[in-house]
Amino acid sequence: MATLNLNALTENASRLGMRLQETLLENTRDLGIRGAGSAYMDNTEEKVKNIGKQLDSNSDREKLDAMKRLIALISRGRDVSQFFAQVVKNVASHNLEIRKLVYIYLLRYAEQEPDLALLSINTFQKDLSDPNPLIRAMALRVLSGIKVHMIGSIVMLAIKKCAADISPYVRKAAALAIPKLHHLDSTHQPELIKVISTLLKDQSPLSIGSVAIAFEAVCPTRLDLLHQHYRRLCRTLIDVDEWGQVDLINVLVRYARVMLPRPLASTEAGGSSGVEIDSDLKLLITYAEPLFQSRNPAVVLAVARVFYYLGLPTDLPKIVPPLLRLLHVSPEVERVVLRNLVLTASELSEVLGKSYARFLVRADDPQQVKKDKVRLLRAVVHVDNYPSLLREFICYADDADDELVADSIQAIGYVARVVPEATAQCLSALMSFIQSKHDVIVTNAVLVLKSLVQIRLQQQQSAIAYGGLPSHSFSPLEIISRLARRLDEIRHPKARACVLWLVGQYAASPETAPELNGVAHVGPEGIAPWAPDVLRKTAKSFAQETAAVKLQIITLAAKLLVLSPADRTIGLLNRYVFSLARYDLNYDVRDRARMLSALLSGVNAGIYGEGDDSHEDVGGVVLRREQVRMVLFEGKTSVGEDKVEDEDDHGRFGSMVVVTGRWAGSDNYLPDWLEEGTESSLRDTEADIPQAPVYTSQSSAARSIASSSRATPVVLSPSPSGSFTKQETAKAAYMDLDKFYDDAEETEETEESESEESEEDQEGSGSDEAASTGGEESEEESEGDEEEGGDDDHVLVQGTTG
Amino acid sequence: MAIDGLIILDNTGRAIAQSGFHSFPSAYPLLHIDALNSALANSPRHTDVDPVIYVQGLNLDTPSACCHIRRGELRYLCPVSGDVDPLYAFAFLQTFVDILREYFGHLSAETLKDNFDIVYQLFEETLDSGGHPLTTSPNALRDIVLPPTLLHKVLSVAGVSGLASSSANSHPFASPIPWRKAGVRYNNNEIYFDVIETLEAIVNKNGQPAVSTVWGSVDSNCKLSGTPDLLLTSSNAQSLMDCSFHPCVRLQRWARDKVLSFVPPDGKFRLMDYRFAPATASAVSQAAVPFILRTGVAVDEHGGSIDLTLSSRLTTRTMENVYVELYLGEGATGANCLASHNASWTFNPKSQTLVWELKAVVPSANYTFRGSFTSTAENPRPSRAFSVRFEIPQHNFSAIKIEQLKLTGEVYKPYKGMRGTSFGNVEWRW
Repeated sequence: MATLNLNALTENASRLGMRLQETLLENTRDLGIRGAGSAYMDNTEEKVKNIGKQLDSNSDREKLDAMKRLIALISRGRDVSQFFAQVVKNVASHNLEIRKLVYIYLLRYAEQEPDLALLSINTFQKDLSDPNPLIRAMALRVLSGIKVHMIGSIVMLAIKKCAADISPYVRKAAALAIPKLHHLDSTHQPELIKVISTLLKDQSPLSIGSVAIAFEAVCPTRLDLLHQHYRRLCRTLIDVDEWGQVDLINVLVRYARVMLPRPLASTEAGGSSGVEIDSDLKLLITYAEPLFQSRNPAVVLAVARVFYYLGLPTDLPKIVPPLLRLLHVSPEVERVVLRNLVLTASELSEVLGKSYARFLVRADDPQQVKKDKVRLLRAVVHVDNYPSLLREFICYADDADDELVADSIQAIGYVARVVPEATAQCLSALMSFIQSKHDVIVTNAVLVLKSLVQIRLQQQQSAIAYGGLPSHSFSPLEIISRLARRLDEIRHPKARACVLWLVGQYAASPETAPELNGVAHVGPEGIAPWAPDVLRKTAKSFAQETAAVKLQIITLAAKLLVLSPADRTIGLLNRYVFSLARYDLNYDVRDRARMLSALLSGVNAGIYGEGDDSHEDVGGVVLRREQVRMVLFEGKTSVGEDKVEDEDDHGRFGSMVVVTGRWAGSDNYLPDWLEEGTESSLRDTEADIPQAPVYTSQSSAARSIASSSRATPVVLSPSPSGSFTKQETAKAAYMDLDKFYDDAEETEETEESESEESEEDQEGSGSDEAASTGGEESEEESEGDEEEGGDDDHVLVQGTTG
Repeated sequence: MAIDGLIILDNTGRAIAQSGFHSFPSAYPLLHIDALNSALANSPRHTDVDPVIYVQGLNLDTPSACCHIRRGELRYLCPVSGDVDPLYAFAFLQTFVDILREYFGHLSAETLKDNFDIVYQLFEETLDSGGHPLTTSPNALRDIVLPPTLLHKVLSVAGVSGLASSSANSHPFASPIPWRKAGVRYNNNEIYFDVIETLEAIVNKNGQPAVSTVWGSVDSNCKLSGTPDLLLTSSNAQSLMDCSFHPCVRLQRWARDKVLSFVPPDGKFRLMDYRFAPATASAVSQAAVPFILRTGVAVDEHGGSIDLTLSSRLTTRTMENVYVELYLGEGATGANCLASHNASWTFNPKSQTLVWELKAVVPSANYTFRGSFTSTAENPRPSRAFSVRFEIPQHNFSAIKIEQLKLTGEVYKPYKGMRGTSFGNVEWRW
């Protein structure tokens, strides 16, 4: 009993304590100046209930307090729409502070509670005539935010009213309300277009950016509306606010693409004028160029797009310094700009090459940045700058980031291919990498060396075919022999497998074998001296190798046997290797061994030893040595060149696709540009305007007044009908192009998945084929070839991607 | 070109505030917050998280991307759907962060929660519900959204806030110049310029700089009455390249005369950014790295040793807050080092980074650092370069000076002040 009482007592005491604390907090809240905001954040249920009362009270202070509480609740993600009615009552409050908060609340909830919002529609309409432009704009924003079909005409009236407002801020709000109404009810489109064409005449640069947005949303095809304004818009571009500049530039670029003739680099003119560029196009380019100095990266990229899509090739280098400047702005901007630079790298390699130092890779760069920087460095490799770039690549091979290591070593291989002078240096660097302690470096170095060897051999063959003598500083076979000697140091399975394949494939080269025979040939006939030794070493370590290496050991053994069937040592080694492989734990290895031994049965029947009779009853066609040789050696020359270059061809400069690499939705704001050369006749419409652009010194501060005082230039616009039809087809064309891009992307994806599947198939089909060798001998030759080639290609694929 | 909205996350990844995503399902912002948080959780280095994350939408046909930046302890997210230039989102995020800084000074989850009503007003005023930036000029914004001054708070507590403020901003957007408030009055007319320069360099193994660039910016604090028209002449303007300017600067004058002619906004603003490229006769127009680092790094099995000597190349100035950092590679477990001259060192086992910290580096002294580290990896792979950061107060690499500041349009004579600070961020390969 006593304990129970005690319990009750402590409970009451704690309750009292809490109560006291609460009231204390409440009383001192108003005194606490610093923590005033956070006090609104601790909303107990009781206080939430109190909000309604506070909103109905007469005191401004109470109302303000309640509104702040509501906003705090919103910020915590709570639904406070139940207060909508009470809040709406306060929309006519004479206190500006309350009114602003009420509007913030309304902007959030007008869409969810359209019925209640309708009740207060009169207030909003009244507010459209408020002396304060802020309230007028807010009222319009709330009105256009109420998504109820039947008030469409009311909103339409409001927009019309505000579009003629004296404050540019309200006109801007009107322009921004247009897309919303259009979205709500597209039947108002004709009226909205009228409003837009009125707003286009606006002399204040503040609202013009929003008009561009409205234009893109409501009537993107009515570019003929812009005829009268094009030149003025170009001239005022510099005075528009930075966000408006981006939107306006996008509209103007599209206009220029559709309505203006394509600038032609006249080559046949004899070089007197050089280029032929429309004066109106020049106007846009001239007035956009100063904006390269904008502090806003988005504006700079938008201007770069003007040059990229409209400018002459000779003007294109101008985009490089501004874009390089952006690399310094922030890591995020650097990331995006690098992607865009990679896109232009092939066209601008010369210009970029001069300032390659600006995108050297730092050890603390993020991954994607490192990748793009190496791509760029690769793209700018040139005879003049290769020593320093090569030094950079060698340095990056020590990086802690595996991907960068792989990229840079591949880049070294690339340098070796494109700059013949650098080949020796590159090779010595690659050979030194092979001794590294780190697997990544060794693997990549071997893979790159392998592809180098193959490409060089191919070149030699074609050179011999054309009769020209290859003047190379290194012999590819020498690389193989060096690799073969280093086999013990190469521990990474992939690299080992790769070396073994190389040794087997090029153990005998037709044009070198006779020469070697003449000098000092110690090994078995028809085989390079180092090849059997490699087989000997690997046969010894066969049991310890991984499956990938084992597969290549068997292949090597088979190839050597075909090349030199008479040699006893090779025969013995073969028998040893094949009997090991036959009882291997890995069934891929067993299958390969079975298949190869069946294939080789015509060359040397004694692979499994005399006592083995399991394969004697295998009937069917037995291939001759030459045929087996064809099967094993031919069709391996197709080397996958690094496909880094053309990976992003479908990406567009300055868009999301470039960065994410994925389709980002067909956005009406940014249609795909008409590709050059396809639609040039469409842009002839404006050509007959002779007026040359006068580049007056006009900029900043006082310039807004200057530009507004200047009368609209007389523009001889072409007949709208003619231009309209043509521009319609243009629209259709780019819609098709859009589809075309989508298709291209899809097919690419399916191709990728297909190739993956087929790879898997090949791995799996090894067993099927080996099992069916007994029955389907007639098909064996071709299938065996495919199988063999496929597997080796597998290694190649790894070589290029890994 | 439109962005979907704006979300502010605290350092634990929870949303503090977000703009209204009116035309999206309520799960949409959550989806993006989630995408970012899982990307952060999956990445060993936070800097490796792609600033543009692809987010598969709720229904398959609306893919979107989450652009995010981190400033201070907060993260700012900007979901974007459709094909929009990501720079547009990043530019807006940066602008918004600058505005918040302008309003609240230091930004933290606490300050934002204290002033959530202002934050929400800023959301509504800077971003239209259609996703288009509205008013981002701080001068214009201050007319619409009152900054949290002490006086304002006292008044609001006293319940007269609306009355007190309505007189001050009865005419928002009354100014003919969009970036400058109308009717500014000061008793003392003064303008200050802060020239902040950063040396970014990469030094090769042989001690020769592979690249070294000086980036500078001029920050200004303007307290001038009326509508002053300024003309600023600086000493070596010819060697300033790759400039970008505040919209107030007349680009034409700069292109012609290399002088800055502008009507400044009121208060703090960044006047210009530039790259310093001295027009010397030699082709190599690179700034010198003001220190020498002699490195000796040896990597053995399960560890290695580091031996560093740092000396300043400056003759009079002192380098302050010098940090020499080295990432020791995956698996690094600890380090044991000795630093001369009361310098300190730390090893951060989470980021596996060794930091040598020197409060001051005076000319003509050698600072040494010696130590060893251990690692669980058999062949540790430390970063291939040291990262060195430092600052030199009261100094500019470019030695830029204001020669003259002419004021027209007003009658008073302004007081002008200029101050320089230099920072360095050097990668020193070993």
